[in-house]
Amino acid sequence: MTDVANIVVAPPAASVPRSPWRQCLLWFWVLLLAIGVLAPLVANEVPLMARVEGKWSFPAFADLFGRPGAGPQDLSWKQWWARLPADSEDLAVMPPWSFGPEETDVTRARLRPTMSHWLGCDDTGRDVLARLIHGLRTIVWLGVPAVLLGAFIGTLLGAWAGCRAGIADVVVARLVEVFVCFPPLLFLLFVSAFFGDSRLGLVLVMASVFWTSFARIVRGEVLSLRERDFVHVARGLGVSEWRLVTRHLLPLVRSQIGVTAAFCMASAVVAESTLSVLGLGPGDVASSWGTMLRQGSDLAVVGVWHLWLFPALAIVGVVVSCHLLADRLRARTAV
Amino acid sequence: MMRWLLVRLAWLVVTLFGITFVTFAVIDLAPVDRAELAVERSADRDFTDPKKREEAILRFRVQYGMVDPVTHAPYPSYVRYGRWLGNAVRLRFGGPGDDHDELWRRLAAALPVTIWLGGLATMLALLIGVPLGAWLGLRAGSRADRVVSTVLLVGTGVPEFLLATLLLLAFSAAWLQLLPASGLRSPGSEHWTFVWQLVDFAKHLVLPVVVMASGPCVLVSRFVRDSVARAAQAPFVAGMRALGVSPPVVRARLLRHGCAPVATLVGSLLPMLVGGSIVIENLFALDGLGHLAVQAALQKEAPMLMAIVVIGSLVTLASFVLSDALHRVLDARVRLSR
Repeated sequence: MTDVANIVVAPPAASVPRSPWRQCLLWFWVLLLAIGVLAPLVANEVPLMARVEGKWSFPAFADLFGRPGAGPQDLSWKQWWARLPADSEDLAVMPPWSFGPEETDVTRARLRPTMSHWLGCDDTGRDVLARLIHGLRTIVWLGVPAVLLGAFIGTLLGAWAGCRAGIADVVVARLVEVFVCFPPLLFLLFVSAFFGDSRLGLVLVMASVFWTSFARIVRGEVLSLRERDFVHVARGLGVSEWRLVTRHLLPLVRSQIGVTAAFCMASAVVAESTLSVLGLGPGDVASSWGTMLRQGSDLAVVGVWHLWLFPALAIVGVVVSCHLLADRLRARTAV
Repeated sequence: MMRWLLVRLAWLVVTLFGITFVTFAVIDLAPVDRAELAVERSADRDFTDPKKREEAILRFRVQYGMVDPVTHAPYPSYVRYGRWLGNAVRLRFGGPGDDHDELWRRLAAALPVTIWLGGLATMLALLIGVPLGAWLGLRAGSRADRVVSTVLLVGTGVPEFLLATLLLLAFSAAWLQLLPASGLRSPGSEHWTFVWQLVDFAKHLVLPVVVMASGPCVLVSRFVRDSVARAAQAPFVAGMRALGVSPPVVRARLLRHGCAPVATLVGSLLPMLVGGSIVIENLFALDGLGHLAVQAALQKEAPMLMAIVVIGSLVTLASFVLSDALHRVLDARVRLSR
């Protein structure tokens, strides 16, 4: 009886204690993505909620889903807020960072970092921190969908190839070889030239580059796991093929999928900012880090360092955090 | 080996079809087709009238071989693909109306720059990466290893365009005006003596080559470090030590064992170099293939981009086969296992 129990139980997926480092990195990413999704609520020139003459309105929330309404009394929200008397019945709750990414002000053009603008302002007086925060939206709406789509397709095809040897394996192997042969950046350049500035086009291309790594890893793992005793036992007990893959095999590959996803995330960020630096980035993204960097590096020559340094640090920080996460996750699988 | 190579080459044909098919599909599925683009570009002429515009588009479609010249019915896509492929095999990536000689002249002018850059960068990356990785691998787990490995890990996170701008700022624009920022020659250098021309050329190459070598160098050194560290744990090392073989000899055997897998890295270095050449040639204003590709992308020049993409992926495919073959030649375990 004990023998059977030992055979049937699959190897534990996570036998190593959780490292605080990895938890920190994971939470850092959760925070980044949350800020990215909620960017208009974190940094905006319109209030989160305002009471004008007894009526409540929520302009920043409106910005999250579309365009915020115009400010009261023919003023912009910011002007109205600045002129609000202390004893007024009206009130406004501003976001934690009360500057918007597109809010220009010539009086603070090229402002060095100060107490009121932590990371300074650019040529037209746009706040750098606000633009960086809104740049996170690019990661959320470009990088994350691309990685998820790539992971989904890759895992599906990889598992299929691993389970059904023969024709499936051959087909998937050829597909992978075709897509691996396109140098990623060149392929991105090629497609973004003809699918215009659409974000969807970029997501699809990135996914078409990423799925190959997932497919290769999942296929290899499934191939090696397929001959293990617990799989034979599960088959013998009449577990269906689908259930076998989704419930018995994929959980064991999970952390390797995570490693690959972290690497792909890093290359998505790099690819997007590289395209923006080359002037080929997605057009409908308001403030991407790559665009900021391109504008900043022209001015860095004449000594305006903060427009270049902060976007650069943001990119390096995010990419290195991806690599660290991948490294930690891999350390877990290696043990 | 011969049999393996033949099978591999046979499959290669299938992959080639796949590559050309995807390349063709991207252009064919694009929301705005080439004829419309060509008309857009000549918008300043008399194409404001919708009827004339339609006629102009049709003319371009005939010229690019997208519709039947007599009936003006669009060809079905498999016919278009077949014709395009037939042309592509003869190295003509476009329709019957495109100037292919001009395209190949531009490609041929750009190719040497990219090959020089890539070759020098690969050499630099191997010259630094392999010894550094071996040194770290022999000291795996030590303080020096931990520090340098962390630096390398951070290094993987620095995109090439960032390093390029940083070095440009440091060495040629803002602080030290030591090295030229763009191009391959100084203006007026053709009147200089040969030696000075050579020095000038070398000075122009330093920054691009260093930036281009950075990515592969980090990759190679991390790879060699892991592989040497793993080899150091192998039973044959312990066996040699126990038999009293002198440490330098053990180390030499171990290094050979650990460094051989570098040959298999050729395959993954090449896509990196292609990507690097796109970024670097544009930031340093060098007239190579990467520069050509970005210009073609900005101008939406389909034949040029198709040519570069197909060439780029063919070279990558060749490097994959080469690294597979090297892997088999160098590693008896791979050779015998299949």
